[in-house]
Amino acid sequence: MNNEEKERHTFDGMEPVVKSVSVKKPQSFFGERPLTAIEMAPRVLRYQSRRDFLVFGAGALAALAGAGFVLPQQTLSRMGMPRNMDSPGKEWFLNKALRIDDDVAEALYSGTRRVPTYTKSQITSLKNNYNGATPDPSYISGWNLTLSGLASGLSISLDIRNLLTRFSVHEQITRLVCVEGWSGIAWWAGLKFDDLLRAYPPMSQAKWARVESSVNLDASGNPDPYFMSLDLATARHPQTLLATHVNGQPLTVDHGAPLRLLVPVKLGLKNVKAITSITYVAEEPRDYWAERGYSRYDGI
Amino acid sequence: MSQSTPPNCEPNSASTLQEQPGVLVVGKHHFLVRWSHWLNLPILLGLILSGISIYWASPIYQHKPDPNTGNVDVAADIGIWICAHVPGQHHYSSPPDWIYNHMSLGPGMLALALRLHWSCAYLFMLNGIVYVAGLVMGGAWRSLLPRRTDLLDALRMFRYYLGFPLAKLARRQWLHPRFNTKYNALQRAAYFSVSVAGFVSVATGWSIHKPMQLHWLAELFGGYNAARVWHFWLMWVYFLFVVPHVILVFADGWDTLRSMIVGWSTRAARSEVIAK
Repeated sequence: MNNEEKERHTFDGMEPVVKSVSVKKPQSFFGERPLTAIEMAPRVLRYQSRRDFLVFGAGALAALAGAGFVLPQQTLSRMGMPRNMDSPGKEWFLNKALRIDDDVAEALYSGTRRVPTYTKSQITSLKNNYNGATPDPSYISGWNLTLSGLASGLSISLDIRNLLTRFSVHEQITRLVCVEGWSGIAWWAGLKFDDLLRAYPPMSQAKWARVESSVNLDASGNPDPYFMSLDLATARHPQTLLATHVNGQPLTVDHGAPLRLLVPVKLGLKNVKAITSITYVAEEPRDYWAERGYSRYDGI
Repeated sequence: MSQSTPPNCEPNSASTLQEQPGVLVVGKHHFLVRWSHWLNLPILLGLILSGISIYWASPIYQHKPDPNTGNVDVAADIGIWICAHVPGQHHYSSPPDWIYNHMSLGPGMLALALRLHWSCAYLFMLNGIVYVAGLVMGGAWRSLLPRRTDLLDALRMFRYYLGFPLAKLARRQWLHPRFNTKYNALQRAAYFSVSVAGFVSVATGWSIHKPMQLHWLAELFGGYNAARVWHFWLMWVYFLFVVPHVILVFADGWDTLRSMIVGWSTRAARSEVIAK
């Protein structure tokens, strides 16, 4: 601050405490403006500082309390917090964040936007990510797909030959993305879910499909049916397949023989292997992973 | 460090109410900038803790399974190395989890980590909007823009920081380069690039969160897998920024730290010699 700048200051009768001392004309729109120095009464400055420190201190305490509120109990225990901080409010808050994220995903979804496709040279390995034990192949010989919740009011059972002869086969090389972060590109073939919906229309009020695999096993090999909710808008996506083949070969048990869902606009966990039944319902059905703390829409 | 009462401070029209002369201060940070600055601390901490827990589920740096342990994760190897070589860690019960137990929410809690990551990510984006709004309303965005002279000036600052401890040891005078701008070139580069890093973190985050609906965004970063690598390394930008940032704030003094809370600084004259 030089004297020349000082002399240019103007008094403002309306503002008894604050007065402008240095005002320079800016050179350009992007040019940095000099900081404006103002004269403050020490009393006012002290009062404002005390207020700001109290408010920011309260904010810091609130942030600490917030961290204790949202962090998982395991983490808090490791940091030396002996008390159990789990509360219904924590679940509510974190689930709320999931729902907001699901709503965003649903808003981003477009029934006509196709996912990227790849060439055969870009195919990668695809790991068997069965959460539990991989089922014994003996289920394949007696396999049937049961459709219910249809407009006809009937329940229909189809075997793999029915499916392959009644519907045209579509191929696509797409990426499957796992919630864990890894992904794999594979060459899939099968019938369009949309074609199945047209051939066996669901009841008029249906908005959801419950897709289930009753042959799914838990880690110790006991039956653990896998069920998953799929909105019908996604089921009708042109790249949503009921896949029967991968990389030119019929599906192996590892990849859900004889029929799996291939829905590339959803996380891998929605791509149910060895589907045994599809039920059309009006209300959002239960979802295996949503019940374990993951999101329920899973649109990517 | 602070010139609290300029000697030639003349009494103004209100001085009859005051017993003391006024203090000359400059407004440095808009209150939205101050709030968003401090909110970044818990939000980024939450993002990093949950982010490393998410990384655990499928590490991007893997090697062939170790014949003895079956381990594939480089981060787990680092944990094993730390437990073997760092004193006091020899009896750590699960060496492969050392990194995850010390730098994340913990291993094996993907669902929880994802929920926390989304919560913090939405807050981070909101906070970014608040920060930009504060910069625009306070006009401080102009002080952050890079300029043509920055490279040379940044080198001068770098030379100053490198020489400062040596000069202190030798009890020699080491003058702070003079700038009559709000920030020196090195500060400007740091504050500008960390804001850009925040923006790119959000962009890469969306590209790996919605790789199908936003596949063009993933392609911008070289595809889904490359975007994950970007997102991971951007986390280290914050460490790279925060460590010198905190050291320099304390080295610079109370006025600088206080200004991020109260908004004003008593350093009304900008070009002064800091180290004497």
